Formats: sequence, C-alpha cells, structure tokens
Amino acid sequence: MSGPVLDEAAPPPAAPAEAPSNPPALAKAEEKAAKPAEDGAPKKLSPAELKKQKAAEKQARRAQAKSGPAPNQPGTPAKEGRRQQKDSNQTSKDDKSRPLPLRRRASQSNAPAPPPQQQKKDAKKDLRQLGLFFGHLYSQPRQHSMVGASKDVHPAVLSLGLQYSSYVICGSTARMVAMLLVFKAVIESYHTPVGTSLARHLTNHHLSPQIDYLRSCRPLSISMGNAIRWLKDFIIKIDPSTPEAEAKRNLLEEIDMFVRERVTAADKLIRDNAAPKIVDGDVILTYASSSIVEQTLLQAHKSGVSFSVIVVDSKPLYEGKTLARKLANHRLNVRYYLITGASHAVKSATKVFLGAHAMMSNGRLYSRVGTALVSMLANAQSLPVLVLCESVKFTEKVALDSIVGNEVAPPDELLSEVERNNLLPLHPHLPKTTTSKSDDKGATAEDAKPTALDVLKWVEDSQNLHHLQVLYDVTPAEYINMVITEYGSLPPSSVPVVHRLSTNT
Amino acid sequence: MAQGAVPLAPGLSSFLKSLKTTPADPSVEHLIALLKRRQIRNSRPCAVATTALMLRVVGEFKGRDAAKMVERIRQVGRRLVAAQPREVVVGNIVRRVLGLVREVLDDNAGENTNGSDAGRSTPTPHDAMTRPQLSSSISTFSPLKHAHAEPMDSSLHQSDMSDSGELSRRPPLLSSHTSYAPASAAPLVNSLFGLFSQPVDSSNASTPTGQASPDGKTAQALNLDRLAELSQRANLDLKGEVMDGIRELQDELEQSDEQIASVALEHIHANEIILTHTASTTVQKFLLSAAKKRKFTVVHAETHPHDNAATHGILLTGRKRESHMHEEDDQWKPLTAVGIPVYVIPDSHVFAIMSRVNKVVLATHTVLANGGLVAAAGAHMIAKTAKEHRVPVMVLSGVYKLSPVYPFDINELIEYGDAGNVVPYEDGEFVDKIDVENPMYDYVPADLVDLYITNLGGHAPSYLYRIVADHYRTEDITL
Repeated sequence: MSGPVLDEAAPPPAAPAEAPSNPPALAKAEEKAAKPAEDGAPKKLSPAELKKQKAAEKQARRAQAKSGPAPNQPGTPAKEGRRQQKDSNQTSKDDKSRPLPLRRRASQSNAPAPPPQQQKKDAKKDLRQLGLFFGHLYSQPRQHSMVGASKDVHPAVLSLGLQYSSYVICGSTARMVAMLLVFKAVIESYHTPVGTSLARHLTNHHLSPQIDYLRSCRPLSISMGNAIRWLKDFIIKIDPSTPEAEAKRNLLEEIDMFVRERVTAADKLIRDNAAPKIVDGDVILTYASSSIVEQTLLQAHKSGVSFSVIVVDSKPLYEGKTLARKLANHRLNVRYYLITGASHAVKSATKVFLGAHAMMSNGRLYSRVGTALVSMLANAQSLPVLVLCESVKFTEKVALDSIVGNEVAPPDELLSEVERNNLLPLHPHLPKTTTSKSDDKGATAEDAKPTALDVLKWVEDSQNLHHLQVLYDVTPAEYINMVITEYGSLPPSSVPVVHRLSTNT
Repeated sequence: MAQGAVPLAPGLSSFLKSLKTTPADPSVEHLIALLKRRQIRNSRPCAVATTALMLRVVGEFKGRDAAKMVERIRQVGRRLVAAQPREVVVGNIVRRVLGLVREVLDDNAGENTNGSDAGRSTPTPHDAMTRPQLSSSISTFSPLKHAHAEPMDSSLHQSDMSDSGELSRRPPLLSSHTSYAPASAAPLVNSLFGLFSQPVDSSNASTPTGQASPDGKTAQALNLDRLAELSQRANLDLKGEVMDGIRELQDELEQSDEQIASVALEHIHANEIILTHTASTTVQKFLLSAAKKRKFTVVHAETHPHDNAATHGILLTGRKRESHMHEEDDQWKPLTAVGIPVYVIPDSHVFAIMSRVNKVVLATHTVLANGGLVAAAGAHMIAKTAKEHRVPVMVLSGVYKLSPVYPFDINELIEYGDAGNVVPYEDGEFVDKIDVENPMYDYVPADLVDLYITNLGGHAPSYLYRIVADHYRTEDITL
C-alpha cells in the first residue's frame, strides 16, 4: 500500500511553477515528499488534496508528453488499481480514460529517479498484497518452458522439469525417484573439468543448476530435499583420489541402492505392515492418490480380503480418479466422492488410509490439500486414521498451520475448461468496469463470441477478485492414530525419533 | 440450473407468468411437474412459487366454510410436498398458510370467548404485557392442552354468562389487541361496538358444542368441527383475510434478505476475514450491506460441483445465472465492485485457510426445529473445521426456511444429484466401474452453529424451537 501512495505524494518538481493557484496543498505535498521514503506509513490524503495533486501531475505530464513513451509499469496491483480508479472518478473525464499506470510513471519520471532496488521492493510489496494469505509464498511464477534455462541444465532435467510443472509426474515419492533417475543420467554424462575434483565440482557446479531449474518448475518436495541432501553428502565424502570412472560407478550404484532401500523395500515393508490391518467387510476411505496406499489396497485385495474402497477427491488435480480407476480395474469395489461429499463418505467408512507428502517433526501430516478435512471428519466419527509414509519423507521441519509453508499453485488452474465454458453466458452481465476495461484493448472483443480464455481474463480484470490455490495442508497430529513406516507402526509423536534414526544411519 | 439460460425454459418465472392466466388446479399440476423435474429448486424459488400458488388457490376457493378451505389447502399442500419432499420450504409455506386460516378464525373465535373474558376476568397483567399476540396460539400449541383447556374456559364463563348475556353477545373483533384491553375499558368498547352491529346468533350457543365434543375425538377433528361452526356463524371475510395474510407472507419473503442484511453491521467488524460458501443471495446481500461501512475480506469456497458456476457468476457479476431473466430488477453489484477483496478457494482448502478466518457465514437450504440445518454440500465440513479452530459460525436464514421437521432420519433430507457433475459421462469406463456419488446437501448439527440470523433477529440454535412454535400450528405439522 505504502509504495504507490508515496509516489503519488511526491509532486513533480515542475509542478509549483505550473500550478501556483493552490500553494497550501502543494506545500503539504512537498513536506510529505521530504519525508524519507522508508517511513512507509500510508498517507491518507483527502480527496481535495488528491485532486489538486492530480491536476499538477497532469500538467507536468503534458509538459513532458513529447519525451516519448516510457515502458509501462507492469503488474499494477489490483487493489491499487481500484483505489486509483476511484480517485480518478473524482477528477475530470479524460483523466479517467487514461490508463492508470501512466500516472505513476509520470510522477516517477519527474521525480528524482528512485534507486532500482526500491522499485524491486515495490514489486515485492505488490505481490505480498496480492496474496493476503500466502503472500509470503509467492516467490516467482512457475516455469512452464525451457526458455531461460541455464545452458548447464541437462536435457533430461529439462524434460523432467516440464513434467513436474504440468503435474505429469506428481506425488512426493514419484518426483523424488524420477529426480534421482535423471540425476543418474546427469552423472553418467558428467566429466570432471581439469583442475577440479569430482567431489568438489559435481555438487556445486554441476548439480546445483539442475536443482535450481527443477525448483523453478515446481518447488522441491520434502523427499526431494532429503534425497538431494543425502546425495550431496555422499558426493562430498568421495575420496578425491578415486578415479573418475570408478567414482561415477559407485555413485550410480549408491543412487540405485538408495531408491531400492528407501523406496522399494520401504514400500514393501509398509504394505506388509498395513495390508493386514484391512479385514473382511472393511470400507477403506482414502483421499486423493498415494502410491503406497494403492499398493497396500491391492495387496490386501490379492490376499483375498473382501473390502471396498471409498476414494475422496478434489479439484483441480483429480488425482483420486486415477487411483479409483486403477483399483476398479483390479475389480475392487470403489465409490468415488468429491470433497464436498466427504462428510457423507466418512459415514460409511470404517478406516481411513492416507498418503503423505511429508511427516513433520511435531507429528503433523503435510499432505495434499483436503487431507486435513478428511482426517478431521474421520476423527469426529471415531474412525482410525492411518498414515502410510516412507521415512524418507520425514522432515525436521515443523508447522502449526498450513499457511506458514505451502506451495502456491497458479490460480488459473482453479477453473477447468468446462467450468469456464459454463460461465460464458454471463458475459452480458459483467459489471461495466470490467467490460469498459476490455474495450481499451479492442472494441471487437465486445461483439466476438467470448471464448473460454476470456473467462480467465474476466477474473483477472475483476479487481478484488482473486483465485487462490495451494497444494498442501497440515493435518494436526491429534487426528492421526497411527503412522506406518518401514520402521514399524508408530504414533505421530514418534516421528522425530524415526527421523533421527533414519538420517543418522 | 442449466435451464435458466434460455428465457422460455420452464422455471420460476415461467410458472409465475402462467399463474396469472391459469386457474388453480392446472397450476397445481404445473408446479408439481416443475418440482418433480427440479426445474424449480432451492428454497427461495420454491417458497415464492408456493406462496403465489396458495394465493391463487385461496382466491379461487368458493364458499365460506373454513374447514373446507383448510382441507383444500392441505390437500394441495400434501401433493406439492409429495412431489418434492426435500424442498422442505414448500411444506413450510403450506403450513404457514394453514396457520393463517386458523389464526383468522381463532382471532374471531377469540373475540367471542376472550372478549367475554375481558369483561369479567381480567387477564393477568404480565401475560398481556409480555406476549399479547401469543395467547391464542398458546392455547392450541399442544393438542392436549387445547382439547382440555378451551372448553374448560368457556364452561367457566358459561356459568357467569347467564346473568350478563348481553355482554357476551358481541360481534367479532378483528384486532386481537382490543380483546386484551384493560378491564376498565373493555366493557365500554364492547358496548360501543354492540350499538352498531348485533350478531345474528348468540355466540354462547356455539361454544358449548365444542365443549361437549367427546374426548375420544382427536384434536384435529375437534378443531375442524370448531372451525366449521365458527366460520359459518361469523360473518367474517375469511377469504379476504387469508389472502391478505398470504400477501404479507409474500412481502416477508421479499424483505427477509433486506431485514437480515440490516443487522450486518452488528456482526461484522473492520478487517475481518469471513469465509462463506455457495451462491446465496442472502449472504451476498448481508456482506454487501456490511461493506457499505466496513472493510473486510471474504474467502469464498466455490462449492464444487453443484453451485460453483453460480458462485463464480455471483462473484463476477453479482447475480446467479438462473435469475438473470427473473423479474428481479434490483440487480446488485458483486462484492468485488464495492471494494471487498474476495478470494475464491476450492473446497478442499477450507481447513488450510481456516486459521486465518475470523467468522464463517453459511447460507442454508432449510433450518430444522432442533437447530440443525441442511445446507449445500460441504457446509458440514466447513462448520466442523470452524469448530475445531474455534471460529464462530453464523447461519443466515429467512424464517420461511425454518421448518417444524425434526431430523429423525437425516439421510431422508439429503438429495443426491447428478453424478455426471462429478465425473462426466464421457468417461464411460470410469462411470461404469465406479460408484460416483454426489450428495447435494449436508446436515449440520446444531452444536456446530453459534448463531442464527433470521429476519426476526439473532437467535441461539437452542431457541429455534420457540420460533417454530410461533410460526406453525401443531395441528398442521403433519400435513
């Protein structure tokens, strides 16, 4: 809020000469401009003052109109835009028709140019304002292409990154395993440059850009972080005197071993442990999709236990559909609900099996958003809630709510193609502000039949309307009855112990 | 909902239009068809349609026999309710209309018995002060009490009436308040009225019959008997008054949103974060009214897969899709246009976001007499999450949604919707192998709700039974 207001408060130096009729207001404005920009407190200006300032600014802009178009300030925050538009309603008509960012530019170009880092700070503030809830999590927009990737990035990593960002490879374990396999390819094609050792160079100079690229496609999962930490530790410990070929061979073997030990074998132990928990007549409820839950259910099914499954799912990823389909193909009796029907689904369930993205050290479960709802409802129905989780997903991180740490997903994923098309008949009823705004871009859009993409534009254009989407939530430990890991079945309070065990050995 | 797109599609507005020209009986059939096909759905359209139809039915009713009128309304009501039992509002409106008929009759009967009361035995002052208008309905509140108390009353008077037959013979007074006038004033008023209109037959002749009716008779039958006699005897404009009452009911339907919205400022303070769900006119108007004075933030769960299109529509344009050809002229701005930031979240995010939310405002489909409510699917998990986070839950509901039904079987109240909304039928393999279920409503128990706001004000859930008792007659609860 404070940045743009301060900008407005700073009058162009030329203004006093051109607008001598209102000295008191200008004196005031100058006083404000004199204040250090860091004080940050948003100044409430009376409408009259704003009007005067605007008049002054307008004149100043006219004076320097021939100086050529400056680049438009991108990304005026929605709230600011609304405010400014409201202001401009109070001024003259031509003031209103002018695109809003221009005004800011005028005042900025006239005032002594602010240092670049302040501008950066402004942009950051804008972002924070945009996300009232997860503002601290909006780091950079997710990368959806290979453009701009560092030249060091291995082609296998490039394609993996795209698979991450488009959710083709989704799920904590799958992402970790895929990453390790790709890293094997990276290591295989790696040659230590002359003058460095593999242990020194590989981690910092070769793997880091790969990891950075993957992170730009989608933030790293906890398990990926754990695996990377392990890999780096291992590489650093390689004796510099080992010949490169042997070191690489060792490394590849070790990665295979890691996947086998921490995922394949762990999964087997977990499902051997969990499958007997399913007895005849059980109705197992699960949320979204987890590979380990799927394995457990199939193993129990193969062992001849007759039970049925309820899959609860949610938009926009609909991961549960895949799980339901796979289970149904194995002739399991499957019912499918969306999360809105979760309270009905838990009524007929007898046990709840959940997958995890991570288990936190305070015993909380960090998993696909909606898991907390399902476990809360199950807990209220006194159903046992079992979490199946490999110890590689354990983390020393702690969180009390789902807001401190989370992954923000692009908000345009919220509306699917079908839903957008359903909204199309609304077009004639859109409020004037939005339609007039699109008029600026092209009057033909008014007559042309709106397409599904336009719906997203409406949402974007509609100031104050935000679509919000995150990927995870944190389930309180008291909703969870048991965590089944390869180390055995434990209460959620034992998570930090197992985490220490699994990292120390 | 999809039918709303075409102006000629059958729905509430087409029904209201046809009602102007069609007589009552075909209109009943028409409404039944619409209800059965879910072409009219959700509480308000159902309520509006039922009230309009009731007005028509009463308007076309011939004769002045109250018992027959009650029977007629009841019979229409029963068919409407049977057509769509889960739209509880239909039954509510029918009961309200029945209540109106009885009230009109009771008022008149009340004049006859209570008027004489006023002359002799003064009503206890505190009773008259606290709830004067209740007294007549209280006597009939419980069938037991009714069966015994009233005849007893009149028999008491009976003994006294012999020496002052003059006073008891008086015309019906339409205003119930006059009958509770202080004892000193009552005889004067009564006698003045008596100057101008003398009743044809004596009122005491009728009262004993009621008293004499055998105890074996049900309260219902007793009541009907009494109604019949009363209406035959009294030269009151039964039809006119009932129709007036129905019009008042229509006004109530129209105004309930505004009345609820008028208290918004008492419940929303500055900089709150309010979570709501589904596309509800009542909630939107409530928030809009608060937005006039206060700044707050709204988090809106989109209620996929039922109302999400309407939710997005209401946020983008300020109106639901189905209502844009409806005569509703007072189009309102979307919340976003008045400067309220709105964050749309998928329903799965409710738990994640709840730790930032100050208040939950829920819309409802029906409120039940035990304080529980039936609302759009997802309401239960929202209310439960709010409870877990100690966030207060407010439910906005017009009194017309308040139902005298006790939820003995909750599943009976839940409607299951089109599974194609969850998984499109194009996905044939999936739909074939997997049971896709799509419950449309949730039952939210009373202990998850902190406050109900109706057009009468704010109430604790535990108090709702009292409002139910004020609005419905016991004899009408089973239609």
